Parts: sequence; C-alpha cells; structure tokens
Amino acid sequence: MNTLMNHILFLNNLEGFFFGSGKAHVVTGVSLIILAGIAFSMWRMDRRLTQLENEKNDTPS
Amino acid sequence: MRYWNSVWKMGGILLLAYVIVRGFGTPLQPGLVEANPSRLKPGLADLELKAVGQPFAEENAPIEGHQLILKSDQDLIATNLTRISPHSVQASVVIPDLLPSPALDAFLFTPSSGTLFLGNAFFVEGAGTGPVPQAFAATPPAEVDPNLGFSFPYQPNIIESIRNLLWHVPMWFAMFFVMGIGFVASLMQLRTDKADWDHRSEAAVRTGLVFGILGLITGSLWARWTWGAWWVSDPQLNGALVTVLLYTGYLLLRAAMGEDERVGRITAVYNVFAFVMLVILLMVLPRYTESLHPGKDGNPGFNSYDLDNSLRAVFYPAVIGWGALCYWMYTLRLRMNRLEYRLLNE
Repeated sequence: MNTLMNHILFLNNLEGFFFGSGKAHVVTGVSLIILAGIAFSMWRMDRRLTQLENEKNDTPS
Repeated sequence: MRYWNSVWKMGGILLLAYVIVRGFGTPLQPGLVEANPSRLKPGLADLELKAVGQPFAEENAPIEGHQLILKSDQDLIATNLTRISPHSVQASVVIPDLLPSPALDAFLFTPSSGTLFLGNAFFVEGAGTGPVPQAFAATPPAEVDPNLGFSFPYQPNIIESIRNLLWHVPMWFAMFFVMGIGFVASLMQLRTDKADWDHRSEAAVRTGLVFGILGLITGSLWARWTWGAWWVSDPQLNGALVTVLLYTGYLLLRAAMGEDERVGRITAVYNVFAFVMLVILLMVLPRYTESLHPGKDGNPGFNSYDLDNSLRAVFYPAVIGWGALCYWMYTLRLRMNRLEYRLLNE
C-alpha cells in the first residue's frame, strides 16, 4: 500500500513543495479514512433499510 | 438490478478515493511568489525570488541555462544570476537611472520548467522616466517547452489551494443536481398530489442542504486563503448563503406544519419558489454584477486556459464521485421517508 501511495504521489521525478514537507501524505490519509468511514456507515444504513423494507414487505398489512 | 445498485455506489466511492489521492498527491507547477527586496533604487542591487510548487531546479544546479530578466513596460533589463536552489534564485542587477515604468516584472527562464513570471515583482524609487539605456538591455532566450509531468497549473494567489476546486465546485454541482430532483418532485407533487413525490422532494432538499453547507464551508476556507477574509460581501457568496437559508426555511416550514395534511402541497409550492430563487441567485444575478468569484464579470475564472488537462483528469471524476455520493444519500433518505410513511399509515 505504501509503495503504491509513493508511486502515485511521486509520479513526477521532481519532488513538489506541497508534499515535500510530508503534509500531503497526512491530509490524504485522513481524508481517505473519513471517506471510508462515510462509505461504511452509508453501506450499513443501506443494508438495514433493505432489511426493514423486506420485513415490511413480508408482513401482511 | 441489485448488482448495478452496488456498482454505482462503489464506483462513486472509488472515484472519490482516486480524487483524494490524485488531488492531494499531484505536484503544483512552479511559480514565483515573492521578491526581495520589493523596493529598489537605481544602482547595484542584490535580488532574491522565491517560488512554490515543484522545484524548478535541482539542488546545486548549474546557473547555465537559467536567466532572470526584469521588464519595465516594454524594456528588458539584464541581471546576473548568482545562486539557484530548488525554490529560489539570487541575482545581482544594476538598475538604470532611467526607466519607462517604476514597476518591474520578473521573468525567470529555466531549461526544465519553462518561464516563471511574477508581475510587479519590484518597484524602483528615484529613477527618471525614459527608455532603458542599451547597456542594460537583455535578450530573452528562446522559449523552451517545459516537461512538468502530471502537475496542476500554477495560479497566482490561489497557488496550492487550487486543489479545493475538486471539493468546492463538485459539492455545489451535487447540490444543484439533487435540488433539481426536488424541484421536479415538487412539481409532480402539485400535479398528482401523491405522497411519494413529497417524500422525494423532502429527501432531496435535506441532502442538498448538506452539500450546500459543505460548499459554503469549503468556499469560506478558500476565500480566507485567496482573498484574506472568511467572508466578503460578494453577490455570489451572499446568493449562496441566501439559497441555503431559503432551503433551511423549507425544512422549518415542514417542521412547523407537523401532521397537517396540506404539508405536501404547501411545501411543494415553497420548494418550487426556492429552486427558482436558487437559479436566479447563483446563476443569473452574479453574472450581471462584478464579483471576486471566478467565472464572473471582472475576474478571470477557471476557463479553458486555467482548467488544464491534468486538472480535468481529476475534476471530472470528482464531479461524478460527489454526484454519486449525493445521490446515494438522497436514496437513503427517500427510503427512510417511505418506510416511515408506511409504518404510520398501514
């Protein structure tokens, strides 16, 4: 994973000022963790809703 | 159908992951940002110019091939480069007694990064007005085609914050998209008076508001960096805030009406009005007034020149990714509304 990140971040042979200081790695990592958290919570909510919808459909009104 | 449902959701998240990695990981093209000392007098002077972005030279790079030229109006003044480092150059220059203009632009010619420019880099005090004497004149080298690799364009003032384009703009696009769904749903609600259209418009406004508020926050952060203030009284910014407040009013109206059976029709009328106001406040009015905001009168925007191919390669996936995330949120809220309705009415 680290190698992949380095490969993506250092596509250019000249190291940039912005990520040269290491800040971009931290920002990228934190943003990815937040995105993963949002995606996971939405996926769980999606599953729960599907479950509830199925239960409701199975229950005769 | 279930397979396709998972694909677009996962696709949206993967696109956003790509946008984050590419958006923060792509280097910025080099650009000059600072000149020292900013004020000069005729005679010998030592100069230093600082740059940001990816380095325009290696550490201890040879001076050969690099050239710094100052420009006063149309006249060029030669300098003598003394040191080059990855993000700065030092030079000595003899400022002539006569200059066409006291403001000097700086042009740094480099063999690997092309030409770097800083407008009004220096201001000369005490020089007479006239053409630069021939002894001081410089001849610019031939322009080289820089090999900058995959990099974001350098924009003065915006600099590294250009990455915010991948967050701020797509968030507003996502808000427009979902508010448009809400608008159509409200029109259908008024036409058919079916509860499902009301569920759709409520879900759309609620989701759109999330993205509208995120758009305001990212815009405010950007304004602080580029304009020096968290908020400026600008038609585009004020219009965006009024739009968000209008849609907040929609939710307050719903809450205030409670279980009233007319809530669907009344809030649908309000929502149609709110969407028309959104279009007027964000897309029409700012174009008829001067605005600091890019893309409007009096200010160059992210046009075909600024939004180069490397930025496009990340910007378009960002638009699709944020749009997919926004639509996913909308569908979740819509399903919640439908379930709640069924539980209460069956």
